[in-house]
Amino acid sequence: MKNFRIEHRTSDGLDVLDLHGELDAHTASHLEESLKTLINSKKPYIIVNCGKLDYIASAGLGVFMAYIEDVREIGGDIKLTNMNDKVYNVFDLLGFPTLYDILEDERDAVKKFASQS
Amino acid sequence: MERSASDISERQSRFDLKTVLETSRMLIEARDSDFVLENLLFIVMGKLLTTKAAIILQKPSNGKHVIVKQRGIDQFGEGDEVTFKLNREGRKQPHIHFQDQSENLPMLNENMDGTLFFPLRTSNHHLGYLFVNKKANDHAFTDAELEFVESLCIISSVAIANSQLIDELKGTNRKLDQRIHELNTLFDLSKEFNLLADRDKITRIFKFALLGQLFVRTFFLIYKTPDEISLLASSGMNEEPAQSEIQSLFEECPVDIMIPEPDCIEKHPFLDKNRIAYLAGVSIQGDKVAVVGVGKRVNGEPYTETDYNFLNSLANLAVVTIQKTFFLEERIDKERIEEELSIAKSIQTGLMPNPIPETEGLDLAAITISSREVGGDYFDVVNTPDGSTLLAIGDVTGKGVPAAMLMANLQSMLHVLLPIEISLADATGRINELIHQNTPSNKFITFFWGKYSHSKRRFRYVNAGHNPPLLLRKGSDTFEELSDGGLLLGAMQTLMPYTQTDIFLDQGDLVVGYTDGVNEAMNPQETDDFGEERLKKTILKNRNKSASEIQKAIIDDVNKFAGQKLDDDLTLIIFRVS
Repeated sequence: MKNFRIEHRTSDGLDVLDLHGELDAHTASHLEESLKTLINSKKPYIIVNCGKLDYIASAGLGVFMAYIEDVREIGGDIKLTNMNDKVYNVFDLLGFPTLYDILEDERDAVKKFASQS
Repeated sequence: MERSASDISERQSRFDLKTVLETSRMLIEARDSDFVLENLLFIVMGKLLTTKAAIILQKPSNGKHVIVKQRGIDQFGEGDEVTFKLNREGRKQPHIHFQDQSENLPMLNENMDGTLFFPLRTSNHHLGYLFVNKKANDHAFTDAELEFVESLCIISSVAIANSQLIDELKGTNRKLDQRIHELNTLFDLSKEFNLLADRDKITRIFKFALLGQLFVRTFFLIYKTPDEISLLASSGMNEEPAQSEIQSLFEECPVDIMIPEPDCIEKHPFLDKNRIAYLAGVSIQGDKVAVVGVGKRVNGEPYTETDYNFLNSLANLAVVTIQKTFFLEERIDKERIEEELSIAKSIQTGLMPNPIPETEGLDLAAITISSREVGGDYFDVVNTPDGSTLLAIGDVTGKGVPAAMLMANLQSMLHVLLPIEISLADATGRINELIHQNTPSNKFITFFWGKYSHSKRRFRYVNAGHNPPLLLRKGSDTFEELSDGGLLLGAMQTLMPYTQTDIFLDQGDLVVGYTDGVNEAMNPQETDDFGEERLKKTILKNRNKSASEIQKAIIDDVNKFAGQKLDDDLTLIIFRVS
């Protein structure tokens, strides 16, 4: 499993996914499961905290691509926070900052959700 | 206190020098081209007391001049293109008055009187121009002012060239990073795919890698198996394609990457409904096996050559892996069938007597040789409760599993009827009825059976359409054929009862029953069959040997005739009264 792990918690009524380890082709389906579960239970305000994420591959980014529209359709959003430089660089290389809110800290995402609702 | 004019002028030039020096220090440290340009613009506007100024730079990519910074100009905005027709010599002047070159310079203002263009250049590159409107107070520019701006332009040009170089390097670095990332993605996936045999998982990973790497939301994969062309995976589709669209798109899409043509879009409405931007046909060893479609990039950026290559490589990688899973399944299926067949063969072998039971008063040998795992030939030897011996031989039309199933059916009927008090002829009639009812009309069995009672030396038989067994009486060289009975089994209802015939056998009389694998065995040239005459010759030649030796002689001769290649089942039952 290359020690990839997702922890789910709630913070200020928002759902936070803490990603740990390496998100690659092999582990992408775990993230898919987590996002699907949230979408199916109509919990569209999602913060993905990447503070403990060491590596992300294109397949990992693809999961976000595949579900962002579903989340926004039910009025929510996926906000990404606390990325290290290496991880941010991959998001940036592939153009993700134009489509996703990528924020310094989880608290910024909480504030942004609060101001948008 | 009054100050002299020369004093003011000296103070002025000291101030200018200081500005130039400070600017120069600032610019040397500056890495941000925006800062350099703003700085140049504002110092010049302040110094020359003009309300309108602009910096125009030549784009290295296409050589066109673009306004990159401007203040106070209404007709043009930043990013607008303007045209300069100055030649190399014209650009070498430290400054150019508009009225001297009006036909070669752009009109940046309604009133261009008294305006100036300062070329921006390094020692070997032309960068662009600084445009300065006339002074707000309509005074003419002094020589000192012009000299000051020229100095500033020289310093700024170096800084602009530097920052352009840095931007260019940054761009190149980013492209390299992207390339490395793409290669990493391909490398990761090829490693991952090698470990996977789960087709669902492979297509999912393929989908995510494509969406993430190309920054697209829509994707589909049409895949062709030997059985069908189907939509194997998709994402972000508003509307799934109809089967007819899948079929015809697969056939029309060339093995290449392309933008769908208008008539292709018209024929396949789902392409437009899902805003599919590119189609890629994928082939393996010259055979088209898949078509991949992807939507536009979410950030609106066009696809580049590198993206095509990536799409192509990734699609190839995924499709080869998917094909591998199909092959694997096929192989597993085949192995399963082979295993089942080998079990079936052992079951079938168990249906025929092994070893052949001891029979009173007969020297007996019987064998069946299948050309396949299972076959439709049948023989049986059973001692009956009344002390007789039942001998049977049969051949089901066709080969393989269907023939074997019918043969098993016949075997079970025979064994069910065996202990029942019923004549051989009636039993044959019953078997015929059952087989006729239970099997398709093109399935028959040729069947011969007989009951030998040693105490009476009587052999009572029924031949239902089988090759007549050959009877060779002791002391005779001619064969009698045991052909009486009736129609082959399963062809029609028992309208006419089967007849049973009694013959009486003496010591040394020999009977050879066989299936058509013997007489119809072909020579390797396929020009001649073994035939009854050759069979009879073999029997005559070996008539004094034991039943099993005669059996061996017949098999050897048939094999030799056929070049060791039998393509039908072959069965023999041979007995001699001892």
